[in-house]
Amino acid sequence: MESPMIRTPRSLLVCERSSFCDENNRVSSQVEQLHFNYKVSVLLSDCSSAPSHLESLLTSFSHFYLVRNLPLHELLDKQFLETAVYQGNVYGLSYRTRLDEDNCVALMPNGHLVLSLDKDSFQVLGFEGKTSTFNYKTKNRYVVTVDLTDGSMAPGRQAYLRLLTGLTSRLPLQMDFLLSHHPGGGASLQALLSRYIWSEHKPEVGTCSLTHLPCPDLQSCDPHGLLEWLGAVDANISRDNSSSSFLSSLVCPEPKRTVSRALRISICGLLLPHDVQRLIQELRCYLGQCQPESWVSLTVHGFVDSPVSWGGKEHGVLRGGENFYTLFIFHDHTYHLHLAAGAQDTCPP
Amino acid sequence: MRRDEEKGEAAVFQRVVLKNASPYHYMKVCLVLEDESTKLSAVELKQFIITGLKTLYGEVGAALNFDLLKYDEDTFTAVLRVYSKWLVKLWSSLTLNGFYQNQACAFRVLQVSPFLLALSGNSRELQLD
Repeated sequence: MESPMIRTPRSLLVCERSSFCDENNRVSSQVEQLHFNYKVSVLLSDCSSAPSHLESLLTSFSHFYLVRNLPLHELLDKQFLETAVYQGNVYGLSYRTRLDEDNCVALMPNGHLVLSLDKDSFQVLGFEGKTSTFNYKTKNRYVVTVDLTDGSMAPGRQAYLRLLTGLTSRLPLQMDFLLSHHPGGGASLQALLSRYIWSEHKPEVGTCSLTHLPCPDLQSCDPHGLLEWLGAVDANISRDNSSSSFLSSLVCPEPKRTVSRALRISICGLLLPHDVQRLIQELRCYLGQCQPESWVSLTVHGFVDSPVSWGGKEHGVLRGGENFYTLFIFHDHTYHLHLAAGAQDTCPP
Repeated sequence: MRRDEEKGEAAVFQRVVLKNASPYHYMKVCLVLEDESTKLSAVELKQFIITGLKTLYGEVGAALNFDLLKYDEDTFTAVLRVYSKWLVKLWSSLTLNGFYQNQACAFRVLQVSPFLLALSGNSRELQLD
C-alpha cells in the first residue's frame, strides 16, 4: 500500500487524436460542454502578428456583466425567467466565491440552476438536494440542482414557491454574479440589471510575440511533457537551463526544433463556448493558409470555482480545481486534444 | 481502387485516459517576510527552501530535488516543480519554515497542480473591480 507521504490526489488527462475531416469527431461537443470558461490561450507558430480576421474575432467576444450583491431569489423572478432563462443560452456564475469554502451558484444555458452549499446553508434552505459526490468521511457539501424550465418549477407551482421561500426568507443569499448570454440569442438581461448595481465588461485580450522558441516534436512528445512545455511558454518560464544549473533543470523535451517566431494570445473573462467554437473555426481557416509545418494550440481554462464542469457534472476543489483542455491543430486538419481534470471531477467527455 | 484510397484516408481516432500519470507537481508559492524591504534573490530563496527541508527531513530531505522555475523578486512569488512523490515533503517543509535570517516569515501556497498549464489559468486571479 502506498505511503501517505507520497500519495497525491487523483488527476486525469484524456488524450484524443483524430481529424476534423472525420464526421464523428467530438471536438465541437466537447467544447460546448465546458460552459464556464475563464481564459483562452492561443499559440500560433510561425506568426509575428495577429491576422486581421483573428483580431476582429477576438474583439467580438461576448461581453459579460458583473452584478453586485444580487439576491439569489432574483434568478427565480418571473420576468427574468421569461425574458432570459426560457430563451436559453444565459450563463451565470457567482463571482469571488470559493467552491471549497463558500456557497457557489451557477446558471447553466439549459436553464439548470446549480447551488453548491455547505451543510448549514443546505439545511436552512430546506429544498431537495443531494450530497456532493466528493464528500469523503463527512458530509459537508450539498448540491441543489433545479431545472427552471421544467413544468414543476413554473412560477406559482409548489416546488417553485418552496425554493422561492427558501431563498427569500430562510436563506437570503446575496452574492456578486457574473452573467452573459449570446448576443443574438433573444435573451434579455436588462430587467434584472436595471434593479441592481452592475457593470459591463469585455474580455481582456493580450498578445505577446515570441522569437526563437524551442519547440518539441508535437506528434511524438508525451502528453505531460507537452503540456509542461506549453505551460512554460504560457507563464514565460525559461526552458534554456543547463544540466549544471542550480535553480532549474527544466528543458524543452527532445527532439526539438526552434520556431523562429510565434504569437501568444490570451483572452480572460467569462467566455462562452460559442465564441470558442468561432475561434477554433477561424484558427483552422488561418492554418489552411500557412505552411505545412505550422500548427496552432488553443488552451481553454474552466473556472476553478464553478460548481459544474463538463456536461453539467459536479466539479469540486480539493487542492486545486483545474479543468482545462488544450487543442493542437495541424495543417492537415488533424488534431490532438488533451482534457485535464483534478481530483474532484468526473472523467472529461 | 477509389474505395481503397478512401479507406486509406480514413481518420484514426485514438483516446487514452491517463490517471495520476504526471511525474511532477507544480506549486505557486509566495514568501511573506516580516521586514518587507528585505531583498532575496532566486538562489537565496532556493537555498532557504533547501535549508527548511534539511531542518525537517535531514540530509535525505535536503537531497530532494526541486526546481525553481520562475521567481519574481518584487512580490517574492515563485513557481516550483517537484516530483509528485516528494510533494508532501516539500509542502510540509514550506509550511513549517518560519524564520529567515532571524525574522519571521511564512510561505503562502497559492496554487498546486499536476499541470503547469493550470498555474497560468487560475480564475481566482480574475479582478473586475
